[in-house]
Amino acid sequence: MPSLNQPSSPVSRRDFLRSGARIAGMTGAGALLGLMAQRAGAVTHVWQIDPAKCVRCGRCATDCVLEQSAVKCVHTHAICGYCELCTGYFEPEPNALNTGAENQLCPTAAIIRKFIEDPYYEYVIDEQLCIGCGKCVEGCNRFGNGSLYLQVRHDRCVNCNECSIARVCAGDAFRRVPVDHPYLLKTSH
Amino acid sequence: MNSPAHSSRCSRRRFLLRGAAGTAAAVVAGRQRGRTAGSGDTNPYAYSVGVHEKTDPALVKYVERRRIDLPWKEARRLAVTPQGNLLVAAGQRLGEVTPDGSAVREVPMAAPLRCVAVAADGTIYAGFRAHLEVFEADGKRRATWEKSPERSWFTGIAVTDDAVFAADAGARVILRHDLAGQVTARIGERDKDRDIPGFVLPSPYLDVEWHPDGLLRVNNPGRHRVEFYTPDGALEFAWGRPTMAIEGFSGCCNPVNLAVLSDGRLVTCEKGLPRVKVYSAHGDFECVVAGTEMFPENAQAGAGDGFGDGTRASLDAVVGPEDRIYILDTVTAQIHVMERKPTANS
Repeated sequence: MPSLNQPSSPVSRRDFLRSGARIAGMTGAGALLGLMAQRAGAVTHVWQIDPAKCVRCGRCATDCVLEQSAVKCVHTHAICGYCELCTGYFEPEPNALNTGAENQLCPTAAIIRKFIEDPYYEYVIDEQLCIGCGKCVEGCNRFGNGSLYLQVRHDRCVNCNECSIARVCAGDAFRRVPVDHPYLLKTSH
Repeated sequence: MNSPAHSSRCSRRRFLLRGAAGTAAAVVAGRQRGRTAGSGDTNPYAYSVGVHEKTDPALVKYVERRRIDLPWKEARRLAVTPQGNLLVAAGQRLGEVTPDGSAVREVPMAAPLRCVAVAADGTIYAGFRAHLEVFEADGKRRATWEKSPERSWFTGIAVTDDAVFAADAGARVILRHDLAGQVTARIGERDKDRDIPGFVLPSPYLDVEWHPDGLLRVNNPGRHRVEFYTPDGALEFAWGRPTMAIEGFSGCCNPVNLAVLSDGRLVTCEKGLPRVKVYSAHGDFECVVAGTEMFPENAQAGAGDGFGDGTRASLDAVVGPEDRIYILDTVTAQIHVMERKPTANS
């Protein structure tokens, strides 16, 4: 004879197990959805620099949370004039137009200068060396076509919720952009 | 009378509101301070040409008599009419102002106007990106010349009694036309046999000026010099050197525009370090018309800033009656009217 403390019928036990499974399932599904939503939320938008607003204040080099900034100089070759005297490559008053360190503007020698044909030279950014200081960008924008400019490189950026560079950006140039269009690139005129 | 309980609730609410307001103010102030610090702190990576932005006052031989605020945006080039008025190529319009700045008229154009010149009889030659148009003095269109098949970008025009010289920065050539619009010569293209090195134009700035001495003056900004050609295209001589110093041409590519004084001396305009100077026909630096200090917004804007076509910040100059020099600042859309300072003899 069943004890008075035991469930009065087997249906109740089944109901109990069923509701337990339902709750566990819903909890798991909720957790999964939450995780997916969280992950989806993290990658729908990323930080990027609007080149039209950038004032080359130098904070990209000094204020990124990474040891070496995720901001790098990029080069739109279609806009570049391939100048012999590139104001993004050379000091304002270089001793000579050659690759001597004393003539280079970049503090880390991150721009590679290559002869194409008289009098044209190609300039390529070595991203391993670039610290995103924007010195070359200012030189190029001041005198040239503005083919050098800064962008957040997303193979490095950790996409902080509040970007530490954006907080101090003097030109208010940082903004969130859709992850499927993560760069604000200049195009040929 | 409030009950003690009610009074207590109000205080708590006020306390929370004050706390929230204080926190918000602190956050805003912190952000603002960060931004201000960013802009105000010394930038260890600053690109500095400051020493070249200051002009030795002894070198400035001109004084600004007037400044004209143009009512039109996107002003690019100037020309002087036979009456001494100023024509302004500004966006999709051709504007005209008197020397004292009164707007005379505005002729709408179908496309952005790149350059303009006026013949002695008042005929107006207007340059668009890839073709030229001819207008009567009253602004009525007379002809549209055939569109260039090349990758054209017209940036300057000079007119004589029997020819129209059009500077095509896209094709890197000066095209000589007869008055009917037929191309009769190509000037300045690279030609080893004629010892012509060719134009180097990192950005669309190629200007051509004519003087009654019979020579065309053409800037070659990528080579930092001015070249002198006969109307048949022979390169007679050239001068100029790259340097930020006042006697040379600064940056990657200057001068960007030219004008000619009545005695053949040359007025040069630079971008980057916006400044206007006078050289003898043989290239001796003579004086400064306007130093970089006169164009602070232009200097700050930068030629290549934004998503434009590399022509955002530049200067143009024309010479009017009595060798008065009119300088157009493309950033502020202002014309600076410059006159030679009186000398002790005068």
